Amino acid sequence: MYVIEGASNLNHPVKVKRLDDDDYKEISKTRFYFNWKTERLNNVYKLILEDEILGVMSFIHHKDEERIEIVLLAVSKENRGRNKKYDRVAGNLIASACKEALKYHGINGCVSLVPKTSLKKHYAALYSMVDAGRQMVLEGGPLLNILKEYEP
Amino acid sequence: MKNDKLKDKYTDKELADSFVFRSKLTAAQKEETKAQLNAKRKELRQDVTAKDLLLSRLLQLKYQIEDYLTNADYDSARSFGFFLRGYLRSLEKKNKEFANDIDINETELSQILNHHRSPSEKVIIRLELHSNKIIPAIMWHRLVEKEKEHEIMSNSELRTREKSHVRNAVVL
Repeated sequence: MYVIEGASNLNHPVKVKRLDDDDYKEISKTRFYFNWKTERLNNVYKLILEDEILGVMSFIHHKDEERIEIVLLAVSKENRGRNKKYDRVAGNLIASACKEALKYHGINGCVSLVPKTSLKKHYAALYSMVDAGRQMVLEGGPLLNILKEYEP
Repeated sequence: MKNDKLKDKYTDKELADSFVFRSKLTAAQKEETKAQLNAKRKELRQDVTAKDLLLSRLLQLKYQIEDYLTNADYDSARSFGFFLRGYLRSLEKKNKEFANDIDINETELSQILNHHRSPSEKVIIRLELHSNKIIPAIMWHRLVEKEKEHEIMSNSELRTREKSHVRNAVVL
Protein backbone atom coordinates (compact mmCIF):
# COMPACT_ATOMS: atom_id res chain seq x y z
CA MET A 1 0.00 0.00 0.00
CA TYR A 2 1.48 3.33 -0.99
CA VAL A 3 0.73 6.99 -1.70
CA ILE A 4 2.34 9.07 -4.44
CA GLU A 5 3.98 12.36 -3.53
CA GLY A 6 2.89 14.92 -6.13
CA ALA A 7 6.05 17.06 -6.06
CA SER A 8 8.55 14.21 -6.52
CA ASN A 9 6.29 11.51 -8.02
CA LEU A 10 7.81 9.13 -5.45
CA ASN A 11 5.88 6.26 -3.83
CA HIS A 12 5.75 6.15 -0.03
CA PRO A 13 4.56 3.06 1.90
CA VAL A 14 1.55 3.64 4.13
CA LYS A 15 -0.38 1.60 6.68
CA VAL A 16 -4.00 1.46 7.79
CA LYS A 17 -4.51 1.16 11.53
CA ARG A 18 -7.36 1.40 13.97
CA LEU A 19 -7.66 4.89 15.46
CA ASP A 20 -6.37 5.19 19.04
CA ASP A 21 -8.12 7.30 21.66
CA ASP A 22 -5.18 9.73 21.60
CA ASP A 23 -5.62 10.27 17.85
CA TYR A 24 -8.93 12.09 18.36
CA LYS A 25 -6.97 15.13 19.57
CA GLU A 26 -5.06 15.16 16.30
CA ILE A 27 -7.95 14.75 13.89
CA SER A 28 -9.44 18.21 14.26
CA LYS A 29 -12.34 19.53 12.19
CA THR A 30 -9.94 21.98 10.55
CA ARG A 31 -7.82 19.18 9.06
CA PHE A 32 -10.35 16.35 8.78
CA TYR A 33 -13.56 18.34 8.25
CA PHE A 34 -15.95 16.28 10.38
CA ASN A 35 -16.39 15.88 14.12
CA TRP A 36 -14.90 12.38 14.42
CA LYS A 37 -15.76 11.98 18.08
CA THR A 38 -19.30 11.03 17.01
CA GLU A 39 -17.82 7.95 15.31
CA ARG A 40 -16.31 6.36 18.41
CA LEU A 41 -18.85 3.52 18.37
CA ASN A 42 -18.02 2.60 14.76
CA ASN A 43 -14.82 1.11 13.38
CA VAL A 44 -12.57 4.13 12.79
CA TYR A 45 -9.33 3.65 10.86
CA LYS A 46 -6.50 5.99 9.89
CA LEU A 47 -4.11 5.90 6.95
CA ILE A 48 -0.62 6.77 8.17
CA LEU A 49 2.67 7.63 6.54
CA GLU A 50 5.17 6.95 9.33
CA ASP A 51 3.32 8.79 12.14
CA GLU A 52 1.42 11.32 10.07
CA ILE A 53 -2.32 10.76 9.61
CA LEU A 54 -3.27 11.37 5.98
CA GLY A 55 -6.88 10.20 6.08
CA VAL A 56 -9.59 8.81 8.35
CA MET A 57 -12.53 6.46 7.65
CA SER A 58 -15.42 5.23 9.75
CA PHE A 59 -17.38 2.13 8.82
CA ILE A 60 -20.05 -0.21 10.16
CA HIS A 61 -19.64 -3.95 9.62
CA HIS A 62 -23.07 -5.48 8.93
CA LYS A 63 -21.94 -9.07 9.46
CA ASP A 64 -25.40 -10.53 8.81
CA GLU A 65 -25.39 -8.88 5.36
CA GLU A 66 -21.70 -9.66 4.67
CA ARG A 67 -21.33 -5.93 4.08
CA ILE A 68 -19.14 -3.06 5.23
CA GLU A 69 -20.78 0.34 5.02
CA ILE A 70 -18.42 3.31 4.79
CA VAL A 71 -20.14 5.97 6.86
CA LEU A 72 -17.63 8.79 6.75
CA LEU A 73 -14.26 9.40 5.12
CA ALA A 74 -12.03 12.45 5.00
CA VAL A 75 -8.60 13.09 3.58
CA SER A 76 -6.51 15.65 5.50
CA LYS A 77 -6.76 19.23 4.27
CA GLU A 78 -3.29 19.31 2.71
CA ASN A 79 -4.02 16.20 0.63
CA ARG A 80 -7.17 17.48 -1.10
CA GLY A 81 -7.70 19.24 -4.40
CA ARG A 82 -5.29 20.11 -7.17
CA ASN A 83 -2.45 21.08 -4.83
CA LYS A 84 -2.59 17.95 -2.67
CA LYS A 85 0.69 16.65 -1.30
CA TYR A 86 -0.07 12.91 -1.59
CA ASP A 87 -2.35 11.08 -4.00
CA ARG A 88 -4.27 7.76 -3.40
CA VAL A 89 -5.23 8.49 0.22
CA ALA A 90 -8.99 7.86 -0.11
CA GLY A 91 -8.41 4.91 -2.47
CA ASN A 92 -6.17 3.20 0.06
CA LEU A 93 -8.79 3.62 2.79
CA ILE A 94 -11.56 2.25 0.56
CA ALA A 95 -9.29 -0.68 -0.41
CA SER A 96 -8.70 -1.44 3.28
CA ALA A 97 -12.48 -1.70 3.77
CA CYS A 98 -12.55 -4.10 0.79
CA LYS A 99 -9.77 -6.14 2.38
CA GLU A 100 -11.77 -6.43 5.59
CA ALA A 101 -14.91 -7.48 3.69
CA LEU A 102 -13.00 -10.15 1.76
CA LYS A 103 -11.20 -11.40 4.86
CA TYR A 104 -14.48 -12.05 6.68
CA HIS A 105 -16.83 -12.98 3.87
CA GLY A 106 -14.77 -14.12 0.91
CA ILE A 107 -16.23 -13.49 -2.54
CA ASN A 108 -19.61 -12.49 -1.01
CA GLY A 109 -18.01 -9.61 0.94
CA CYS A 110 -19.28 -6.20 -0.06
CA VAL A 111 -18.43 -2.54 0.57
CA SER A 112 -21.06 0.15 0.16
CA LEU A 113 -21.55 3.85 0.71
CA VAL A 114 -24.37 6.35 0.21
CA PRO A 115 -22.96 9.09 -2.02
CA LYS A 116 -24.11 12.62 -2.69
CA THR A 117 -25.87 12.37 -6.07
CA SER A 118 -23.41 14.75 -7.76
CA LEU A 119 -20.45 12.56 -6.71
CA LYS A 120 -21.81 9.19 -7.90
CA LYS A 121 -20.17 9.18 -11.31
CA HIS A 122 -16.84 10.14 -9.74
CA TYR A 123 -16.89 7.27 -7.23
CA ALA A 124 -17.59 5.01 -10.22
CA ALA A 125 -14.69 6.45 -12.22
CA LEU A 126 -12.19 6.68 -9.35
CA TYR A 127 -12.90 3.42 -7.52
CA SER A 128 -14.91 1.33 -10.01
CA MET A 129 -17.92 1.49 -7.68
CA VAL A 130 -21.13 0.15 -9.15
CA ASP A 131 -24.39 2.11 -9.06
CA ALA A 132 -26.93 0.34 -6.82
CA GLY A 133 -29.63 3.02 -6.75
CA ARG A 134 -29.03 5.25 -3.75
CA GLN A 135 -25.83 3.40 -2.88
CA MET A 136 -22.56 2.69 -4.62
CA VAL A 137 -21.17 -0.80 -4.13
CA LEU A 138 -18.05 -2.91 -4.55
CA GLU A 139 -18.43 -6.68 -4.64
CA GLY A 140 -17.03 -9.60 -6.66
CA GLY A 141 -14.86 -8.58 -9.64
CA PRO A 142 -14.94 -4.79 -9.00
CA LEU A 143 -13.90 -5.33 -5.37
CA LEU A 144 -11.02 -7.60 -6.43
CA ASN A 145 -9.90 -4.99 -8.97
CA ILE A 146 -9.58 -2.33 -6.25
CA LEU A 147 -7.51 -4.73 -4.15
CA LYS A 148 -5.25 -5.49 -7.13
CA GLU A 149 -4.68 -1.77 -7.60
CA TYR A 150 -4.15 -0.75 -3.99
CA GLU A 151 -3.06 -3.97 -2.24
CA PRO A 152 -0.77 -5.58 -4.80
CA MET B 1 -24.16 25.53 4.02
CA LYS B 2 -20.96 23.89 5.19
CA ASN B 3 -20.79 21.59 2.14
CA ASP B 4 -21.37 24.60 -0.13
CA LYS B 5 -18.05 26.03 1.05
CA LEU B 6 -16.35 22.81 -0.01
CA LYS B 7 -18.12 23.01 -3.37
CA ASP B 8 -16.61 26.46 -3.92
CA LYS B 9 -13.16 25.15 -3.19
CA TYR B 10 -13.15 21.74 -4.88
CA THR B 11 -14.58 20.16 -8.01
CA ASP B 12 -16.96 17.19 -7.63
CA LYS B 13 -14.17 14.84 -8.70
CA GLU B 14 -11.86 16.28 -6.02
CA LEU B 15 -14.63 15.89 -3.44
CA ALA B 16 -15.10 12.21 -4.35
CA ASP B 17 -11.33 11.83 -4.10
CA SER B 18 -11.35 13.22 -0.55
CA PHE B 19 -14.67 12.53 1.17
CA VAL B 20 -17.54 10.23 1.91
CA PHE B 21 -20.25 12.38 3.48
CA ARG B 22 -22.70 11.21 6.10
CA SER B 23 -26.08 10.27 4.63
CA LYS B 24 -29.39 11.18 6.22
CA LEU B 25 -31.96 8.72 4.95
CA THR B 26 -35.47 8.30 6.31
CA ALA B 27 -36.60 4.85 7.45
CA ALA B 28 -38.57 4.40 4.21
CA GLN B 29 -35.56 5.44 2.10
CA LYS B 30 -33.37 3.00 4.02
CA GLU B 31 -35.72 0.14 3.19
CA GLU B 32 -35.82 1.12 -0.48
CA THR B 33 -32.03 1.46 -0.53
CA LYS B 34 -31.60 -1.99 0.98
CA ALA B 35 -33.82 -3.58 -1.68
CA GLN B 36 -31.90 -1.79 -4.47
CA LEU B 37 -28.60 -2.89 -3.00
CA ASN B 38 -29.67 -6.52 -2.68
CA ALA B 39 -30.82 -6.60 -6.30
CA LYS B 40 -27.49 -5.17 -7.51
CA ARG B 41 -25.49 -7.59 -5.36
CA LYS B 42 -27.41 -10.49 -6.84
CA GLU B 43 -26.41 -9.27 -10.32
CA LEU B 44 -22.78 -8.85 -9.30
CA ARG B 45 -22.67 -12.38 -7.91
CA GLN B 46 -23.85 -13.76 -11.23
CA ASP B 47 -20.88 -12.08 -12.92
CA VAL B 48 -18.30 -13.74 -10.65
CA THR B 49 -15.92 -15.89 -12.71
CA ALA B 50 -14.07 -19.03 -11.59
CA LYS B 51 -10.87 -16.93 -11.60
CA ASP B 52 -12.48 -14.30 -9.32
CA LEU B 53 -13.56 -17.04 -6.94
CA LEU B 54 -10.10 -18.59 -6.80
CA LEU B 55 -8.39 -15.22 -6.30
CA SER B 56 -10.85 -14.27 -3.56
CA ARG B 57 -10.19 -17.55 -1.70
CA LEU B 58 -6.43 -17.09 -1.87
CA LEU B 59 -6.57 -13.44 -0.81
CA GLN B 60 -8.94 -14.31 2.04
CA LEU B 61 -6.45 -16.90 3.29
CA LYS B 62 -3.54 -14.47 2.87
CA TYR B 63 -5.35 -11.75 4.88
CA GLN B 64 -6.21 -14.27 7.61
CA ILE B 65 -2.56 -15.36 7.87
CA GLU B 66 -1.49 -11.69 7.91
CA ASP B 67 -3.97 -10.99 10.71
CA TYR B 68 -2.72 -13.89 12.80
CA LEU B 69 0.93 -12.88 12.29
CA THR B 70 0.19 -9.27 13.28
CA ASN B 71 -1.53 -10.43 16.46
CA ALA B 72 0.99 -11.00 19.26
CA ASP B 73 -1.01 -13.90 20.74
CA TYR B 74 -0.12 -17.49 19.91
CA ASP B 75 -2.97 -19.83 19.02
CA SER B 76 -2.08 -23.52 18.90
CA ALA B 77 -5.02 -24.20 16.58
CA ARG B 78 -3.65 -21.81 13.95
CA SER B 79 -0.60 -23.80 13.03
CA PHE B 80 1.25 -23.88 9.73
CA GLY B 81 -0.70 -27.06 8.95
CA PHE B 82 -4.01 -25.33 9.68
CA PHE B 83 -3.34 -22.62 7.12
CA LEU B 84 -1.85 -25.07 4.61
CA ARG B 85 -5.01 -27.14 4.90
CA GLY B 86 -6.92 -23.90 4.15
CA TYR B 87 -4.77 -23.46 1.05
CA LEU B 88 -5.60 -26.96 -0.18
CA ARG B 89 -9.28 -26.34 0.52
CA SER B 90 -9.17 -23.05 -1.43
CA LEU B 91 -7.81 -24.92 -4.43
CA GLU B 92 -10.07 -27.93 -3.87
CA LYS B 93 -7.02 -30.20 -4.02
CA LYS B 94 -6.61 -33.61 -2.43
CA ASN B 95 -3.41 -34.32 -0.48
CA LYS B 96 -2.04 -36.70 -3.10
CA GLU B 97 -2.63 -34.27 -5.96
CA PHE B 98 -1.08 -31.36 -4.08
CA ALA B 99 1.94 -33.37 -2.92
CA ASN B 100 2.50 -34.17 -6.58
CA ASP B 101 2.10 -30.47 -7.54
CA ILE B 102 4.95 -29.42 -5.24
CA ASP B 103 6.97 -32.59 -5.78
CA ILE B 104 7.01 -33.95 -2.23
CA ASN B 105 6.05 -37.30 -0.80
CA GLU B 106 2.41 -37.58 0.30
CA THR B 107 3.60 -38.79 3.72
CA GLU B 108 5.72 -35.65 4.16
CA LEU B 109 2.73 -33.47 3.28
CA SER B 110 0.55 -35.36 5.72
CA GLN B 111 3.14 -34.94 8.49
CA ILE B 112 3.32 -31.18 7.84
CA LEU B 113 -0.46 -30.87 7.79
CA ASN B 114 -0.74 -32.75 11.07
CA HIS B 115 2.00 -30.81 12.84
CA HIS B 116 4.35 -33.81 13.04
CA ARG B 117 7.02 -32.23 10.90
CA SER B 118 8.26 -28.72 10.15
CA PRO B 119 8.23 -27.66 6.49
CA SER B 120 11.64 -27.27 4.88
CA GLU B 121 12.71 -24.06 3.15
CA LYS B 122 12.23 -25.83 -0.17
CA VAL B 123 8.58 -26.55 0.66
CA ILE B 124 8.02 -22.94 1.71
CA ILE B 125 9.46 -21.62 -1.55
CA ARG B 126 7.43 -24.12 -3.57
CA LEU B 127 4.28 -22.93 -1.79
CA GLU B 128 4.98 -19.35 -2.87
CA LEU B 129 5.55 -20.46 -6.46
CA HIS B 130 2.45 -22.65 -6.42
CA SER B 131 0.26 -19.71 -5.32
CA ASN B 132 1.66 -17.55 -8.12
CA LYS B 133 3.26 -15.41 -5.36
CA ILE B 134 -0.15 -14.45 -3.95
CA ILE B 135 0.92 -15.93 -0.61
CA PRO B 136 4.62 -15.10 -0.28
CA ALA B 137 7.16 -17.54 1.20
CA ILE B 138 7.95 -15.08 3.99
CA MET B 139 4.40 -15.44 5.35
CA TRP B 140 4.67 -19.24 5.51
CA HIS B 141 8.11 -18.85 7.10
CA ARG B 142 6.76 -16.47 9.76
CA LEU B 143 4.09 -19.01 10.69
CA VAL B 144 6.85 -21.57 11.37
CA GLU B 145 8.81 -18.92 13.30
CA LYS B 146 5.79 -18.03 15.43
CA GLU B 147 5.39 -21.69 16.41
CA LYS B 148 9.09 -22.05 17.21
CA GLU B 149 9.09 -18.84 19.23
CA HIS B 150 6.19 -20.10 21.32
CA GLU B 151 7.83 -23.50 21.81
CA ILE B 152 11.13 -21.96 22.96
CA MET B 153 9.38 -19.60 25.35
CA SER B 154 7.07 -22.16 26.91
CA ASN B 155 8.99 -25.47 26.91
CA SER B 156 9.80 -25.95 30.61
CA GLU B 157 10.38 -29.69 30.15
CA LEU B 158 13.26 -28.99 27.77
CA ARG B 159 14.72 -26.48 30.22
CA THR B 160 14.71 -29.05 33.00
CA ARG B 161 16.29 -31.66 30.76
CA GLU B 162 19.01 -29.36 29.46
CA LYS B 163 19.94 -28.03 32.87
CA SER B 164 22.18 -31.05 33.49
CA HIS B 165 24.30 -30.08 30.46
CA VAL B 166 25.12 -26.60 31.74
CA ARG B 167 28.05 -25.91 34.12
CA ASN B 168 29.39 -22.70 35.60
CA ALA B 169 26.24 -20.71 34.86
CA VAL B 170 26.52 -16.98 35.42
CA VAL B 171 25.68 -16.07 39.01
CA LEU B 172 24.57 -12.51 39.73
